Amino acid sequence: MKHIFAVALGVLTAIGGFVDIGDLVTNALVGSRFGLSLAWVVVVGVVGICVFSEMSGRVAAVSGRATFDLVRERLGPRVGLANLVASMAVTFLTFIAEIGGVALALELATSVNEVLWVPVVAAVLWIVLWRVRFKVLENVFGLLGLALVVFAVALWQLNPDWGGLWQQVTSPMPTPGEGWAQYGYYAVALFGAALTPYEVFFFSSGGVEERWTAKDVGTMRVNVFLGFPLGGLLSLSIAAVAAVVFLPAEVQVEALAQVPLPVALALGKLGLAIALIGFFAATFGAACETGLSVGYSIAQFYGWRWGKFVPPRQAARFHLVVLLSTVLAVPVLLTTVDPIAVTEYSVVFSALALPLTYLPILVIANDPDYMGERVNGRLANALGTVYLVVIVVVSVAAIPLMIITKGGQ
Amino acid sequence: MTPLRASYDAGLHLLDRQIVDHEDLPVANVDDIELLERADGRLAVSALLTGPGALGPRTPGRLGSWTVAVWRRLRPDPDPRPGRIEARLVTHTDSAVHVSARARDLSVDGFEQWARAQVIEKIPGAGRAD
Repeated sequence: MKHIFAVALGVLTAIGGFVDIGDLVTNALVGSRFGLSLAWVVVVGVVGICVFSEMSGRVAAVSGRATFDLVRERLGPRVGLANLVASMAVTFLTFIAEIGGVALALELATSVNEVLWVPVVAAVLWIVLWRVRFKVLENVFGLLGLALVVFAVALWQLNPDWGGLWQQVTSPMPTPGEGWAQYGYYAVALFGAALTPYEVFFFSSGGVEERWTAKDVGTMRVNVFLGFPLGGLLSLSIAAVAAVVFLPAEVQVEALAQVPLPVALALGKLGLAIALIGFFAATFGAACETGLSVGYSIAQFYGWRWGKFVPPRQAARFHLVVLLSTVLAVPVLLTTVDPIAVTEYSVVFSALALPLTYLPILVIANDPDYMGERVNGRLANALGTVYLVVIVVVSVAAIPLMIITKGGQ
Repeated sequence: MTPLRASYDAGLHLLDRQIVDHEDLPVANVDDIELLERADGRLAVSALLTGPGALGPRTPGRLGSWTVAVWRRLRPDPDPRPGRIEARLVTHTDSAVHVSARARDLSVDGFEQWARAQVIEKIPGAGRAD
C-alpha cells in the first residue's frame, strides 16, 4: 500500500490537468464530435507535461526551490510579475470552476441545484485546505479520482469496433462536418489542459511539502511517469466512450450530465454511481490543487513562508491568500456563471503563462549552481526545447482560434 | 558560490533570490540590494532590502509607484524604510541566501505579523502543525 500512496502526488497533479471539470466535458465533447482523431494531442501533451514536471520536481528535490521561486529569479520582478498575474488568472479561474464543478457533481447525485451547493462546497474545501494534512489530501482525492477508471471499464463493456476506433486514432483530421479551425481549437484546448501551469506549481511545491531531497529523485520520477500517463488514459477513455456512444448518434455533449451516460449504458446504476464519485473526487482534488497553487505561487514570488507542513500561524500570509481566494470564488459562482465556460476562458491567459513558466524551469534545470551534478541530460534538454517551441506556437494560436471558431462552435 | 568571494554578479546571484534563516525557513526575497562604495572605489553589498518598499521602485510604471504609495500609507512611521538585512548576517548562498539570524528577529515581515494577529490566529486550529 505504501507504494500506491507514494505516487498519490503525481496522480492528484495529473487529475487537475487531465480530468478537472473543464476537461471532463471537453474530453466527452471532443469524443462526440471528433471521435479519437485528437487522441494524438493527449499523447503529445502527456509527454510534454512529463518532461517539465520531471525537471521542476528534480529542481525542487535537489535545491528545495519550487517553480515560482525560479520564475522570479530568472525572469526578474517585471516579467515575473506578468507571469504571476497571468498564471494566477488561469489558476484562480480554474479554482472557481472546480468549486462549481464539485457543486455540479453533487447536483447530479442529489438533484439539489448547484448554486445551493456552492457555499457548502466552498466552506468544506476551505476547512480541508486549512486542517487536513497534505499527505491525507493527496491520498484521498488522488486515489478516489481513480474511480474514473470506470470509463475505461465501460469502454471495454460496450464492446466497440476496436478496428474502427483505431482508424480514428490513425487519421488525425476533422471528422466530416467539422472544419480544420474547430479541429485546431480543440487540439489547442487539449494540449493547453495537459500542460496547464498549475500542475508544475503544485507538483514542485508538493515535493517541497513532502520534504523531498536529492535522494527522492527516483520517487519523484515514478510519480511523473505513472501519474501523468494515467491522467492521459482517463482523459482518453472519456473521449473513447463518447466516440462510441455519441458520435454515431450525432449527439452533441454540452453538459456534465451527459458525460457519464455511456457508463450508465454499459454498466448500469452501479457504474453511474462510481462515475459520479470519480467526478466528485476529481473536481474536489483539482480544487485543492488550484487553491493551494494560488497560495504557493504568490508566496513564492514574494518570498513568504508557505506550505501545509508548518502550522497556519507560521504561514499566515499564505493561508490568508487561500482563505481570500475561497471567499472570492463564491460570489462569482452565485452569479450562475457556467463553470465550464470559465475554464474555457482561462485558456486565454495560458497564452502568456505557459512560455513564461516553462522557460525558467528549463534554464534552472541546466544551472549547476542549483542542480550540481543533477543538471538536465541531453534528452531532457532536447525534449524541453522542442516542447518550448510547440508551447509558444500553441500559445500564439490559441486566441485567434478561439475568436475564429467562437469558442469551438 | 558565496558573496564572501572577492567579486561576483550580485544581480545574478543575489537579486530576487529566496532568503532563508538559520533553520532554512523562508524569510523574504532579496527585493533589492544596498551598495556601499568602499575607499578603493569598489562597490560592496552592505545590506539586502526586502518588502514592497524595495520591490516597488524596481517594478515598472504606475504599478511600482502605487506599490510604494500604498506601502507608505500602511506603515505607522512617517518616513518608512524598506526591510533591511545586514550583509554581514549572510553566511553563504546556494539556491537560497542563508542568513544566521532567526526570521522573527529580523523584523522584515510586518504583513506576516499583521495577517497572523488579525486573521489567522483568530481561526481555531491555527497553531496546529501538519
